[in-house]
Amino acid sequence: MPLVHLLRSGEGFVPPSTNDFNLPPVIAGNEYTTKPILLVFLSVLMISVFFIMASRKAAIVPSKLQFAGESIYGFVRNDLARDNIGHDFMRFVPYLFTLFTFILTNNIFGIVPLLQFPAMSHVSFPYVLAIFTFITFHYIGIRKQGIRKYMKDIMFMPGVPKAAYILLTPLELATFFIVRPLTLSLRLFANMFAGHLLLLVFILGGDHLLKGVIGLKLISPFAFAFGIGLTFFEFMVQCLQAYIFTLLTALYIAGALADEH
Amino acid sequence: MTHNEGDAWSIFGYLLSGLLFWGGVGWAADHWLHTHFFLLGGLLLGMGASIYLVWLRFGRE
Amino acid sequence: MKGTLNLVGYGLSAIGPAIATGMIFAAYISGVARQPEARSVLQPIAFLGFALAEALALFGLVLAFVL
Repeated sequence: MPLVHLLRSGEGFVPPSTNDFNLPPVIAGNEYTTKPILLVFLSVLMISVFFIMASRKAAIVPSKLQFAGESIYGFVRNDLARDNIGHDFMRFVPYLFTLFTFILTNNIFGIVPLLQFPAMSHVSFPYVLAIFTFITFHYIGIRKQGIRKYMKDIMFMPGVPKAAYILLTPLELATFFIVRPLTLSLRLFANMFAGHLLLLVFILGGDHLLKGVIGLKLISPFAFAFGIGLTFFEFMVQCLQAYIFTLLTALYIAGALADEH
Repeated sequence: MTHNEGDAWSIFGYLLSGLLFWGGVGWAADHWLHTHFFLLGGLLLGMGASIYLVWLRFGRE
Repeated sequence: MKGTLNLVGYGLSAIGPAIATGMIFAAYISGVARQPEARSVLQPIAFLGFALAEALALFGLVLAFVL
C-alpha cells in the first residue's frame, strides 16, 4: 500500500522545462518588462553605483569599498588584459572590464535570493555580447594589418603544401567567422541555462517531496541539501563563465593584434 | 596558464568547425545525390583535416 | 517522456573522451610539476592528445544529431 502512495504522489509533479524561462511580463501587456530585461537594467545600475562609490573618494590608504573595486579592476587589467594582450593593452581594458562585470553580475543574479534568474540563460543576451566581441576583434585586426594581410593570415597558414589549402582554408574561415562567436555565446548560455534548470529540479523537487507522504517527506531534506550544495557549485560556475568569456575575448583581441597567427 | 586555456578552447573550435564544415558538405552531397556514404566520408575528412590543422598550429615545433 | 535514444547513446559515448581528457591533463600537470623545464616538450603532446580525444567526442555529438 505505501508503494502505491509513493508512485501516485509522483504524478502531480511537473518537471521544470524551458517554459520556466519564459516568464510573463511584470507589467501586464508590456512585453518589454520581463524579468531578464529588468534584471539587466538593475545590474547596470548596481555596477555603476558600486564603482562610482568605490572610486569617488580614492585615497592612498583605501577604504574597504575602494579596495573591493580596485581588486576587481586590477584583476581584469593585470591578469586578463596585460598578461594576454601585452603592450598597448590599456585601450581594451574598458571593454574587457565592462564585459566582465556585466556578465558576472548578471550570472550571480541567478543565485541571489528573490532575483534568482540569470539573464544570460536567455540566448539573445550572450549573442549580443559575442557580436560585440566579434566586431571588436575583427575591426582591430583589420585596422592594424589591413584587410588583405589580415584575411591572408587567417586563410593561408605558412609552411603547408598548396593542395592542403583546399581542406584547411574553409576550416580557418569557419572557425574565425562562425564557430568562434557561436561557441563564445553558446558556452555562456548553456552553462547558465543548465545551471538554472538544475537548481529548479532540486528545489522544486524537494518542495514537491515535502508535500508527499511521510516516506517522501524524509527524502526531501536531501533534495534541499543537494540544492544548496549545487547553489555553491553554481556560484563557482558563474564566476568561471564570466572569466572565460572575458579571457577568450582578450585572447581573440591578442590574436588579431599579433602579426603572425 | 591562461594561454593554455585559450589554446584548449581554440582546439575545440577547430575540431568543431572541421566536422561541421566537411560533414555539412558531405550531408549536402548525400541530400542531392541520394547516396549514403558522403556524410561519413565528409565527417572523417573533416576530422582528419582539423586534427592536421591542430597539429600544424599547436604540435609543430 | 519522449525523445531520442541517440542522445542517451551520445551521453554514454562521451564518458570515454571525458575520462581520456582528464587523464591526459592529469599526466601533463604531474609531468610539468615534476620537471617544469619539460613543459615546452610536453605541451604540444598534451594538446594533440586532447585534440584526438575531443575529436571522438565531437564525432559522437554530430552523429547523435545527424543519424
